[in-house]
Amino acid sequence: MICIGIFGAAVVVLFSYVYWSTASYVRGRSDDAIVAELAILRQAYDRPGRYGLIATIGQRIADERFERGLYLLTDASLAPVAGNLMVWPSVLKDSGGWGDFNVPESNSDAPHRPLLRAAFETLPDGYRLLVGRNISDLDDFAAKIELAIALSVLLTFILGGVASVFVTRRTVGRIEAINTTSRAIMQSGLGQRIPRRGTRDEWDQLADNLNLMLDRIEGLMGEVKEVTDNVAHDLRTPLARMRGRLEKAYASQRDAEHDQTLIGDTMADLDSVLRMFTSLTRISQIEANDRTAAFRPVNLSKLAREVVELFDAAAEEKGGHLNVVADQPVLVTGDRDLLFDAVANLVDNAIKHGRESGYVAVEVTRDSGGGVFSVADDGPGIPANECQQVFKRFYRLERSRRTPGNGLGLSLVAAVARLHGARIDMADNAPGLRFKLVFPVLTAGLDNDVAPEACSDSGD
Amino acid sequence: MAEGRRRVLVIEDDPETAEQLVETLSTNGYHVDLAVNGNEGVSRARAAEYAVMTIDRMLPGIDGIAVIRRLRESGVVTPALIVSALGEVDDRVRGLRAGGDDYLVKPFAFAELLARVEALARRSATVVKETVLRVGDLTLDLVSRTVSRGGRDIDLLPREFQVLEYLVRNEGHVVPRAMLLQHVWDLHFDPTTNIIDVYVGRVRRKIDSQQAYPLIHTVRGVGFCVRAPS
Repeated sequence: MICIGIFGAAVVVLFSYVYWSTASYVRGRSDDAIVAELAILRQAYDRPGRYGLIATIGQRIADERFERGLYLLTDASLAPVAGNLMVWPSVLKDSGGWGDFNVPESNSDAPHRPLLRAAFETLPDGYRLLVGRNISDLDDFAAKIELAIALSVLLTFILGGVASVFVTRRTVGRIEAINTTSRAIMQSGLGQRIPRRGTRDEWDQLADNLNLMLDRIEGLMGEVKEVTDNVAHDLRTPLARMRGRLEKAYASQRDAEHDQTLIGDTMADLDSVLRMFTSLTRISQIEANDRTAAFRPVNLSKLAREVVELFDAAAEEKGGHLNVVADQPVLVTGDRDLLFDAVANLVDNAIKHGRESGYVAVEVTRDSGGGVFSVADDGPGIPANECQQVFKRFYRLERSRRTPGNGLGLSLVAAVARLHGARIDMADNAPGLRFKLVFPVLTAGLDNDVAPEACSDSGD
Repeated sequence: MAEGRRRVLVIEDDPETAEQLVETLSTNGYHVDLAVNGNEGVSRARAAEYAVMTIDRMLPGIDGIAVIRRLRESGVVTPALIVSALGEVDDRVRGLRAGGDDYLVKPFAFAELLARVEALARRSATVVKETVLRVGDLTLDLVSRTVSRGGRDIDLLPREFQVLEYLVRNEGHVVPRAMLLQHVWDLHFDPTTNIIDVYVGRVRRKIDSQQAYPLIHTVRGVGFCVRAPS
């Protein structure tokens, strides 16, 4: 409503201005013509003189081009001497100036007496000279403009009204469509989407964005459901095992040695369940919180050597070899604990899923400024179509179902990589798998103040 | 002072957990006082001298972090072990920053709790500077970084030596995996793999194989313990 009011006022002001400027322009032109005519007659009076003036007036009256002109020359007692006006208009009492008046009765028989505008002056010899024009036409013109403007204003309001109703209807319609979809989603689930009109306007863009948001939410919900299902499954299995074991023991005779084993096995099973919880909460904590503020420079080479030293024994147990090439200090910014965990998981995977008595190679390099950690095995690798799947929580390759693990290791690696802005590359090592963590280029300036850690590893 | 060495304050609101804590610590020779909320904990910790206090993270009234902060502000330096059911990564940092000395996530093995309490209690006692450590017929020379058993030298990697040293320093006490990881590798998380067991297994092979008796023992679900037969 306020908008319509402001719009209406603006339209009225605009048209008033157009009217006023047009009218004053037309009137100005008319006055200019009178002034010019008066000047010409004054010239004729100045030379050759009064008779020249009378002659010029006569010519003007006879000339059709001056049809609209009015002329009157009187003597000092206002008795007409020449001109087409019969009497001096009684309203003009001064010795000179401007005046508007109707045609005197004696000048016209018509019932309608046109409006005149005239300039007059007193000549040096006491005669008076008047030059005027019929401005009834001007009034007609002004009246026509007035009418046109009034009609325009009316038309503007009608069109504006129609347009605003149309636009409002359209807007309300789009909003209503979004509302309807939102309500439907709240009532029956995330399956619905906001319809597009195909006009590619802001409304379509809004609909697109809302739909993308819904897609994302639906995806996340799906993930949550999958994780919940998997947690339920992976929890039920050891829990069922524990329950069965306890139930059997409860029903049978007490036997100290047997009980000892049973309790030990049950505790081990419980520990694996707790480890799974630790992994899950760690992943969700990494994903939920921004801990980049606590990031410190970490020497990736030193970290890799430490991890390899830890896992060396594990590789030995499997009859394999674990080798590391990480001589140059390669610095990345990050959380050492999390990076250690991620790198340990990758090395653990390579040993576990690589070839029996196989060869695992760990390498830390610098690739165009950013640190790169890579671990390669010569095992069976990962089928290309499952490369993305392995990052999902609880995902396990079919052939790995029997090896110990909970399918959370790579999810954790992915979460840690994302937190550090690192890219994960998986490539065929022919045979085997090459797994790479490619870290972003270190921010300038950090290189200098991390010397302590870089230097202190000489003893390791 | 001697009495304070074995006195522990437990601040825990859950009755069953509190009972288990008190029992575990009592049977291991500690005199235990129990506070069931934050305010009581603060006043008890100020009133008496304790070797260690364990503080539940989530307490009615003022929470565990606030309890530690208040105690530290009023000059109480008793080592504090925070026991929490909250997630580890952020919460651990917050707890330690507030003045906690160690952190244990629920659920935990009592052996681990005991090991951590004992480690904190020992820390508050005087530290003796030694150059040679001995357990049974095992000798660690901390200066030359060499190990021998029954007079025969054993080759250890530097890190393996550190692991053995830490275990031997805690002779007779259980060392949880996480504590080993924390002190030897400076890592503050529970490993999601069994890697520590494998690593200690190798140290054990070097130390214990073909010997009269084993020195390094595995405590199931918790960690390791160095102990010579009495």
